[in-house]
Amino acid sequence: MVIGDFELEIEPVVAAKARLPQGTMKSDAEEVVNDPFFRLLRSSHAPNPNLSSTLPENKTNVIARSGDTEKFLRETSIRHNRRLKFIDCLSKEDVDIAELRKLAWAGTPDDLRPIVWPVLLGYIPLPSNLRVPTLARKREEYLSLVQLAFARDRQSLDQQVWHQIEIDVPRTRPGVQLWMQETTQRSLERILYVWAIRHPASGYVQGINDLVTPFFQVFLSAYIDSDPELFDTSLLPQPILNAIEADCFWCLSRLLDGIQDNYISAQPGIHRSVKRMAELISRIDAPLYNHLESQNVEFMQFAFRWMNCLLMREISVQNTIRMWDTYLAEGADAFSQFHLYVCSAFLVKWSTKLRQMDFQAMGIIMFLQSPPTQDWGDHEIELLLSEAFVLCSIWHNAQSHLNAR
Amino acid sequence: MTEGSDYDYLFKVVLIGDSGVGKSNLLSRFTRNQFNMDSKSTIGVEFATRSINVDGKLIKAQIWDTAGQERYRAITSAYYRGAVGALLVYDISKQATFANVTRWLKELRDHADSNIVIMLVGNKSDLKHLRAVPTEEATNFATQNELSFIETSALDASNVDSAFQTILTDIYRIVSSKTLDQSGDSVKAPTSDTIPVAIDSSAPAKNGCC
Repeated sequence: MVIGDFELEIEPVVAAKARLPQGTMKSDAEEVVNDPFFRLLRSSHAPNPNLSSTLPENKTNVIARSGDTEKFLRETSIRHNRRLKFIDCLSKEDVDIAELRKLAWAGTPDDLRPIVWPVLLGYIPLPSNLRVPTLARKREEYLSLVQLAFARDRQSLDQQVWHQIEIDVPRTRPGVQLWMQETTQRSLERILYVWAIRHPASGYVQGINDLVTPFFQVFLSAYIDSDPELFDTSLLPQPILNAIEADCFWCLSRLLDGIQDNYISAQPGIHRSVKRMAELISRIDAPLYNHLESQNVEFMQFAFRWMNCLLMREISVQNTIRMWDTYLAEGADAFSQFHLYVCSAFLVKWSTKLRQMDFQAMGIIMFLQSPPTQDWGDHEIELLLSEAFVLCSIWHNAQSHLNAR
Repeated sequence: MTEGSDYDYLFKVVLIGDSGVGKSNLLSRFTRNQFNMDSKSTIGVEFATRSINVDGKLIKAQIWDTAGQERYRAITSAYYRGAVGALLVYDISKQATFANVTRWLKELRDHADSNIVIMLVGNKSDLKHLRAVPTEEATNFATQNELSFIETSALDASNVDSAFQTILTDIYRIVSSKTLDQSGDSVKAPTSDTIPVAIDSSAPAKNGCC
């Protein structure tokens, strides 16, 4: 398991941020927007400056003082090797998806994520010669969907859908600079509205707005040299903004395809997942299950939101992004299937604490509404994912055991 | 310490109304004295508590904040059970949110206990220049439908405590008069079902571990 996937190119980013608070574009952004693999393929032929041994010098010194040099060097070398494997895998004319899944399960390097995610989602095709034309076509297609949807005045929009989106867009990641900007908000509005009218069975459901944000931040990061959350999107050239928006739309669509049941009338997908989660907890942590039952705490009271927003309200976006590396590697149904094992592992994590809370149904629910994950990094998420993996391996094909109860 | 022993009454109150009228901010203003201009949307049902004093009795209010969007109606209405009070919130600057009050009343009639105490709350009273619902119109509506009525601003905090204080006092009066009338446990009126945390709502609290 890879620990703390902090990338080596972090230093220059910090420097850029200090110079220009609103952020700067990468010099090859224009090339990358046409071919997301441009940077990767070019750098795989030349020595990668990001991996030169001079960069982490400061870090090495700091850590040397703490007497942990060997561990740091080992981790750096593991990361370096993993990165090479990624580059190797992605540089092939026909990407081996099974190999890519295996690699991505343990976490994707930050700078490779903008190409790894779309490949795992099947949005970017595996054969290298199809990538550029496919992307161009899909982005064109999205643009015409937008033009069609917004062709006439606002009165002609589906008022109910538009109204809800208008209310929710300004309160998506409130307080984060990126999401408070006009340009970003208009983009988000278009993504959500076009998706909603193309999926009338569910339409826009509150919480779907949250699910766009990891995609947007990851795709934006491909073109800029600073922290996406601080970036001023009005600086983006129109073709790049259009590309980010279209890529978000198609990737969101693919993600939601796997969990449509969560958002249609009566939300049966969520009810099913919460019920299965409760059954699972009764098997893997009976004392906790019995405790919740005796305190009259219902799973629905806390786990509904865990399913509806894929835990995004309980953990940070950075945590979510790391989690989605694994979900996307797991495959299409991870957001409905694997997720319930993650939620179960998440609940069990607080078992001791929860079992000490007597006569506190309200306290228990309030704790689970905002569990203390503020300090969580990749390490905690990776632990959670591996616990979920174990649960999933044992129980996923053992439905009759669960149902027998 | 147990929840069962630190208050005299536990009342479950639901916050309902259209999306974006400020339900969550009313709750955070009342329970934590906090306000967020752009707080995240409420998903399903979220809740918080605060205790207040009425006639020397400690009343613990357990307030369930619900999502305003139609799609969540199935899950939110399940939480009306056991509620002894409801704050039905609209936005004084948005006529449509007031027009929908009728639909929300029907929601309550269909899913909540018939004795539930309902208060109509016109929120965002700070937006004076944008007012779309005249106070008089809302007062008349409230009178016709036998609701109490108040205008609040979660932003500048005006009348927020007063709104909760009023509805909790109203509930307390009803519950305590029933206690006197009928002696003992017939008070548990709206909570004979199995919804958990609500089980002892409106019944005088007993020690948790009897």
